[in-house]
Amino acid sequence: MQVDIRTKLLIVAIFSVLALTYQDPRALAVIFLLNILTLLAFRVSFNIFVSLKNFIFMYFVLMIIQSFFVRSGEPLIKLGGMYLLTTGGILYGLSIILRFLILAGSGLILVDHNAAELLLGLVKLRVPYEIVFMIQVGIRFIPVFIGELQNVFNTIQLRGVDLRKVYKRKVLRVYVSIFSPLLYSVWQKAEKLSILLELRGFRRFPTRSYYRDISMKKSDYVIICLALVITAALVYVCHKILTL
Amino acid sequence: MAFISLHKVSYTYMGRQKAAVREISLKLDQAEKIAVTGLNGSGKSTLAKLILGLLKPQSGNITLDGRPVGKYSLVEIGEKIGYVLQNPNQMLFNTSVYNEVAFGLKWKGKSKKEIDYLCKKYLDLFELWDLRAELPFNLSEGQKQLVALSAVLALQPRFLILDEPTKSIDTFRKGRLKDILQEIWRRGTGIMVISHDHDFIAKFDDRRIHMAGGEVVEDAG
Ligand SMILES: Nc1ncnc2c1ncn2[C@@H]1O[C@H](COP(=O)(O)OP(=O)(O)OP(=O)(O)O)[C@@H](O)[C@H]1O
Ligand SMILES: [Mg+2]
Repeated sequence: MQVDIRTKLLIVAIFSVLALTYQDPRALAVIFLLNILTLLAFRVSFNIFVSLKNFIFMYFVLMIIQSFFVRSGEPLIKLGGMYLLTTGGILYGLSIILRFLILAGSGLILVDHNAAELLLGLVKLRVPYEIVFMIQVGIRFIPVFIGELQNVFNTIQLRGVDLRKVYKRKVLRVYVSIFSPLLYSVWQKAEKLSILLELRGFRRFPTRSYYRDISMKKSDYVIICLALVITAALVYVCHKILTL
Repeated sequence: MAFISLHKVSYTYMGRQKAAVREISLKLDQAEKIAVTGLNGSGKSTLAKLILGLLKPQSGNITLDGRPVGKYSLVEIGEKIGYVLQNPNQMLFNTSVYNEVAFGLKWKGKSKKEIDYLCKKYLDLFELWDLRAELPFNLSEGQKQLVALSAVLALQPRFLILDEPTKSIDTFRKGRLKDILQEIWRRGTGIMVISHDHDFIAKFDDRRIHMAGGEVVEDAG
């Protein structure tokens, strides 16, 4: 089933708002469950999680560390009169992790989609074309920047710096030395791009035409109604849970 | 035993249908002088990145000095092979031309005096010493390429892989580069030059590897 990009955008927006509204891990768990179901319904591939696994792992570790610093609720581990871990800390860590998973998961709904359609969807939602264009350039350039950064990292190591072994203070120096030229090159690229755009007549005329077209079908309206009903039910359920 | 050895190596970039490198088997000796030629997109740069362990082949295996490339860290590979990328912009990350060349030397623990001597020596090769205080990013394309090259040469690796080293270099410096590489090779450093520049590689085809569509179609020398 072909779902319109605008429908997907609405669903992503709903999940994002919900994830940011609720703090209670129980409510977030329910939303997360729904999020998984939605992803399954849209047949999203979870491959991207595999390639992001290092990042996700790091995130989890950070959250676990952070939960040690939140002191509320019942103390769980005490060390010489100091509370090390509290129930409040665990709940806090849990809710942050759930939030992250919901936000990342709902983003996946869009990842699967054709970038051109996403941009066209934004245009049709009357987002100014300049902004849409910037998003487009961003989407195109991110992989390029990542590739460039990767090359610089490789070069540094090939020239004899073992980034895993050097001391912390020195690592910082290496990073600083990488980022300043990188920023400079990004800035140069942006400048070149803007000149090229002018030369090729960007914004010469107030409107532009599109090669593709997108349209809302009956199924889209059904999905939107469904999404709204489920959201209302969800809000109700969460309200119940929280007042228990 | 071969210094670099590839056995039925294939690599396909993510999201691509066609393999960039297909079932390549090669043996390169440490003191060899090799020219790699082929049309745009024939897989030359990919081959270089595979040898350096920057890309992991989906099938086949590559060994360097008798050990699988995957078992080395990049730092260890860098000690054996000097590599100059096709795009010098992605190899320059220091705030001055001098520091660019000094970077690797500093991390090797050389003394200030030694570093100064080597920087001058290698920057002088291409008459870049006068530019030592400049920001590498602001140089001309050809100058950038030569700075990246000097930075790698200064580390005195046992084997060199140069990807399109002559792309934006003038005739005078091209001749210079040819002589320098010849000299380095005579002193025992192996060299693999990837190039379209038939003039330039005329002196480097002791062995010529010609690639087409990801395969080695000719290996003569
Ligand atoms: N990062 C990448 N992602 C996807 N495909 C790539 C990437 N880099 C190269 N390719 C593809 O792999 C094939 C081989 O590319 P490669 O860069 O090895 O060619 P080359 O022989 O070095 O060409 P040139 O003479 O232009 O430098 C090409 O079809 C190219 O489009
Ligand atoms: Mg190439």
